[in-house]
Amino acid sequence: MKKRVLMFGGIVVGALVQLFLPAWPIFGGIKPPVLAAFALYYALHRSPRGMWIAVFWAALLHDGLDLGGFGPALIAFPIIGTLAHRVRLEIFVDGAVTQMIFGALGGMLAMLIAIVIYTVSGQRPFHLGFAFLRVVGSGVLGMATLPLVSLAMNKLESILPKRRGYGWQ
Amino acid sequence: MIFRNRKLVYTAAAGLLLVVAFVLPSSLSLKGKGAVRGVMAPAERGTSGLGQRLSEAVSAIRGIGGAVEENRELSHELVRLQAELNKLGDVEIENLRLRRALDFHQSQALAMIPCDVISRNISGWWNAVRIGKGRADGIEENHAVISPDGLVGKTIEVSKHTSEVLLVSDPSFRVSAKIERANSFGLLRGEGANLKGQPMARIDFIDKDAEIRIGDDVVTSGLSGEGGVFPKGVQIGRVVKVHQNDSGLFQYAEIAPRATVSLLDYVFIVSTSSPKESP
Repeated sequence: MKKRVLMFGGIVVGALVQLFLPAWPIFGGIKPPVLAAFALYYALHRSPRGMWIAVFWAALLHDGLDLGGFGPALIAFPIIGTLAHRVRLEIFVDGAVTQMIFGALGGMLAMLIAIVIYTVSGQRPFHLGFAFLRVVGSGVLGMATLPLVSLAMNKLESILPKRRGYGWQ
Repeated sequence: MIFRNRKLVYTAAAGLLLVVAFVLPSSLSLKGKGAVRGVMAPAERGTSGLGQRLSEAVSAIRGIGGAVEENRELSHELVRLQAELNKLGDVEIENLRLRRALDFHQSQALAMIPCDVISRNISGWWNAVRIGKGRADGIEENHAVISPDGLVGKTIEVSKHTSEVLLVSDPSFRVSAKIERANSFGLLRGEGANLKGQPMARIDFIDKDAEIRIGDDVVTSGLSGEGGVFPKGVQIGRVVKVHQNDSGLFQYAEIAPRATVSLLDYVFIVSTSSPKESP
């Protein structure tokens, strides 16, 4: 229960951090994918149920706070989450290199899906160079974001009071 | 039983998501977004307020305490005076017949609703900011948003307590503009930001014979429709480059918008209606 509350609270704080972080003009004006990193963190660390709750909560906040229609995160985050969740037992999920690779791939995949949705629905103009810049930028920013989110959440979860197991129960 | 068939569940979920992404009516989508934004608005306001207080504290420590409030009042006064000045300029330039024609327009009282910027856009895909006032405060869609520096953008996606402001630099922003010195009209649209992060815009369909110079001021023409409120003569920016259209029929000019918005700023919404009284 405490971990679930921490998950909801953590994702809300993640949304606020992403809102208030400045955009990076060098990467086409995108922001560090903090909410995608939360979705990935819970996909790598939780049971399917926990993963789906985190993924939908993060996606709902992302698309709800963004302009345009619902969709980019609601489609991208479940795909990222499902893919990461499938391989989580075969990798060392808390390894820095693993997280950097997953962060980069997650950020790039989320950006690619957003580009496709925005282009197909005509919500944003498409420029090949700009799209490439954004995909690469998402990879770089995702690479830096997931390890930080992971570190913060691991620390916070470790300081949560543990449930005591009594021998006679 | 049906939930045990994983393939069916995944297909249904994927179908549902695609429906949500592409088919959901905008009114329904806006209602959902309004709910999410309503829940998050207090947190955004709190975080933004914290940032503001920190900034004010730093200013106070630097020995200019008290100047923040004064600055806010002066900014409001400056916007009002600029509006007055624009009106006076028009009076000098326009002849009696035009003034008579505009009497009806001028007789409409334009209220300015001051608002705090509470957050930026979450993804960076849109050049937009969120303000902490909405429909309950008398704000409608497509109303001009101005600051002491000039036109900031226009309101879109207005929910009960928050509104999104599409900035002048966003590629989907359009407003009818006038190059003041040349008295030439055109359609201004956003061009995003350059690699230095500076907002850019461009004004299309300028008369090919008009003499446009670098540094010319660009203001709103007051002709924009869409059921919105765009007062005449609000500064937008200045011309930085002039080009000839490929067809040779028009000119277009690159514009550097004057007003840039940060999280610590407050802006004014131009409105014809006064805030609704709460029951």
